[in-house]
Amino acid sequence: MVTIGKGLRDQFDWPLFVTVASIAVIGVTNLYSATSANPDELGQLYIQQIYWLTIGAGVAVLVAAIDYRHYERFAWFAYGAGIVLLLLVFLLAPEVRGSQRWIYIGGFSLQPSELAKPILIVALAKHLHNDPKTEGRTLQDLVVPALILIGPMSLILLQPDLGTALLCAFIFASIMVLTNLKKRSLFTLVMAFVLAAPIIYVVGLERYQRGRIDTWWSMVIGEEIDVSGDAWQVYQSMVAIGSGGTWGKGFMQGTQNQHRFVPDTHSDFPIAVWAEEQGFVGMLLLLGLYVFLILWSLRIASTAKDRFGAVTAVGVAAFFFWHSVINIGMVCALLPVVGVTLPLFSYGGSSVLTSMICVGLLMNVSIRRFSY
Amino acid sequence: MSLLSQRREVGEFRKRYKWMALAVSIVFGIVVIRMMQLQLLDRDHYGEVARENITRTIGLPATRGIVRDTHGHVIATNRPSYDVFLTPARLAEGDVETLSTLMGLDAEGRRSLTERLAAVPERRHNHQIRFFTDITREQLAAIQTHSTDLTHTEGRREVTAVEVVATPVRTYPYRALGSHAIGYLNELRGDELAELRPAGYRLGDRIGRTGIERAWENLLRGRRGSRRILVDADLARSERGDEQPDVIEPVPGRDISLTLDMDLMRIVERAMRGHPSGAVAVVDVRTGAVRALLSKPSYELDAFTAGLSREEYATLRDDPFRPLIDKSIYDAFFPGSVFKPFSAIAGLEDHLIDPHERVRCNGSYRFGGRDFPCNVRSGHGEVDMRQAMMQSCNVYFYSLAERVGLDRIARVAQDFGLGRRTGIGINTESPGFIPTRSWYDAHDIAWRGGFALNTAIGQGDTKVTIIQMAMAYAALANGGTLYVPQIVERISAPDGTVIEELEPRVRRRVHVSRENLAFLIDSFSGVVNDPLGTAYAVRIADGVPIAGKTGTAQVYQRARLSEEDAARAEYRNRAHAWFAGFAPVEDPEVAIIVMIEHGGSGGRYAAPVAIQILQEYLGPTYTPRPRDTGDADADRPRSRAGRGH
Repeated sequence: MVTIGKGLRDQFDWPLFVTVASIAVIGVTNLYSATSANPDELGQLYIQQIYWLTIGAGVAVLVAAIDYRHYERFAWFAYGAGIVLLLLVFLLAPEVRGSQRWIYIGGFSLQPSELAKPILIVALAKHLHNDPKTEGRTLQDLVVPALILIGPMSLILLQPDLGTALLCAFIFASIMVLTNLKKRSLFTLVMAFVLAAPIIYVVGLERYQRGRIDTWWSMVIGEEIDVSGDAWQVYQSMVAIGSGGTWGKGFMQGTQNQHRFVPDTHSDFPIAVWAEEQGFVGMLLLLGLYVFLILWSLRIASTAKDRFGAVTAVGVAAFFFWHSVINIGMVCALLPVVGVTLPLFSYGGSSVLTSMICVGLLMNVSIRRFSY
Repeated sequence: MSLLSQRREVGEFRKRYKWMALAVSIVFGIVVIRMMQLQLLDRDHYGEVARENITRTIGLPATRGIVRDTHGHVIATNRPSYDVFLTPARLAEGDVETLSTLMGLDAEGRRSLTERLAAVPERRHNHQIRFFTDITREQLAAIQTHSTDLTHTEGRREVTAVEVVATPVRTYPYRALGSHAIGYLNELRGDELAELRPAGYRLGDRIGRTGIERAWENLLRGRRGSRRILVDADLARSERGDEQPDVIEPVPGRDISLTLDMDLMRIVERAMRGHPSGAVAVVDVRTGAVRALLSKPSYELDAFTAGLSREEYATLRDDPFRPLIDKSIYDAFFPGSVFKPFSAIAGLEDHLIDPHERVRCNGSYRFGGRDFPCNVRSGHGEVDMRQAMMQSCNVYFYSLAERVGLDRIARVAQDFGLGRRTGIGINTESPGFIPTRSWYDAHDIAWRGGFALNTAIGQGDTKVTIIQMAMAYAALANGGTLYVPQIVERISAPDGTVIEELEPRVRRRVHVSRENLAFLIDSFSGVVNDPLGTAYAVRIADGVPIAGKTGTAQVYQRARLSEEDAARAEYRNRAHAWFAGFAPVEDPEVAIIVMIEHGGSGGRYAAPVAIQILQEYLGPTYTPRPRDTGDADADRPRSRAGRGH
């Protein structure tokens, strides 16, 4: 709390703020158009999104204001709280479409698996901060961080929420890439993954999940697909994107959106609406914002004054990177459909809060890069 | 932990940030390339898909033209069929129950409805599916009165799962009368659709299959219109249709008036009542207009248009009396003795025969080592041409044929249109066949003089259609003008405006001298009115004077099939009964052909039918011509010329 005051104002990270604010404003606008197609059910979502963003901004300010070294101190406590929340899910969350994800507190619904991501980042940062080893790491050195991952991840898999679990794994992997892993260890890990993938496909996946992957693979290799079946959503999403052309059809003018050809435009497929209405030019703008956000996060990491800050920033960069790439990739059929939101753009309270906590962490590391 | 060491450790990470930044840039580069592919390269394709997604073209069916007879009686028209469509996705609790009650369904009907609903696949739940066709007026009234019970509020709109749609169906008030000539419609088959799509046909369309309905399809059907509407993904009509949907109004089909006289058709049907199979044609000798054209047995046109079941169709197809065959046009028959006038003309016109010369008939004629039988075993004694015609003496015509030869007879027959398609323009027309010597040569059939003898009496290989014979007798009656049979007399717009009056078409003027024709007509008159005549016994005294010729056409003995029962074989081997003639004798108006398939003697069976028809048709308005005026054609008012208009 030392540096709050004049110094902090000077160090305020304007590029980060402007980027995040731009994405959020564009997201709300886009959400307005996306939900206008179904006013009976979704008409008020954009207002709720504004509420969430406002709350999220408050949380971000709070997260940024407290010197992150306090987080380092309380990291294990946060990690423990996270685990408890994830356990609470099994007690409190009602089953929705075969899985337990949301717990309801007052009028709010909270998705602990979302909050698990920043907690995981902080916990890994804490571990690496305390383990300043510069020589090559062996697999043994990975045991502790792996355990840190497996705690929340296994609970998330039990919900089950494969998408979030996968994201946690990706964030973990990204952070570990930062360290100097021995080549042999890296090779072993990659081989293990390659061998495990088909087993997971057969044993670990539900039928509908395999169906999505199969559909995606058919599209990748250019087979004829039945667009009225499994591929409907992705196909119509591609039609929306493609028909947007260079300049787009204009705000509220996307026919694929307005005539409800793309399902879930508010949650998982908002990018289809944006691409349809704003065209390639609009997509370049949005992709540019995300690339900038991620590269800027890496820059913040590189200028961070300590390991904890650097790892946190890289973790947040990984969070934004994997979320945006997987979401955009699935919307344009580069990847199979997984329920992964586009941070700051998709509708969703927990998603917005998590993103905002991550932004707050970034800001925190950024502001305090020169303070000793 | 010292500050210094912390900075160094962070520096250890620093090498990797660049690689991470590179990896991020490459991955996003791939996404940008994907976007370029979708949004720049394939945008036209996807744009088209997006446009097609939201537009649906609804066909607006054109009303099919109405067919009337010469008096304006409606022969073929349209009535609404009320069909019930259900949208399964919109069915609310209790809707099925309400609908079942309104429709008055019994337990079986309710079960069937539930089963059919359950059978609708999930992906079609948002489609309107036809569940009931052509419901009764009571059912319609019930559903319309209680429509509010089936309407529900969903969000801000009123929706209903049940809709009643009126679609026009063809209907034929005269039912089975004249079915072959009028024709029926039925639904296009899938394999025809590809071919007919460019002409504007769509799935579910009906097309004329036979008769007038088929021949005049293009005028009758009109042109379908269309309306493009905007739809949402669930195929419900979109509420955000700010663009004006394009509407192309349908163009109704043309109305057609036929030359047929349905009153006469009824008379014909009544007269034929005792005979299971045959054909009748009545034509106006002055214009070639077809007043009646009937093929027996017939079938209900409405049944065909509604769609026959497999069994119903099989019953018709396998019926030994062949109801599906148009015997007036499609099938050709041995003409028998009704052919004799043309043999006579061949002899008379070339002055090879003196009609007053007598030929002795002993009941058969010896030629080429064979005995050719006469129709009367005991023989007719000495007969001249008139007597031979009246009594239908075969021997006279054998002797004539020997002198005249086959080719002269064939030429006259062909001049009168026999053995040639008449060009009536409906159904498939058989050309029939008139043999010639060159035909036998061309087909390597060893020539025998007997061919000419058989042809002269309308046997051998001679085959004609009913409509051909009708036109030929009309030509005999009108002084030698061979007309194209005319069946459509007027085309008009739905509002009654006449678009085209069709004129009679002359095919040819056959040269036959006046005295020869007069002689023949006198002979025909004798057939009916002279006590020697073959139809004298069945004439109606003091009625319309009728002239004509009877015919009893032998059919070749078929080998009796073992499984064929005797009665059926007996029937099939019986001769065809013919009567060909015209009336009134002194100023002919109509020519008539009656052919009763396997009917037996023409004089006994066909002649009374023809006489009854002509009597009923012409009798009520017939006024006998004053006897004293010799040749008064020029100043006699054609009192009956307007008949039928």
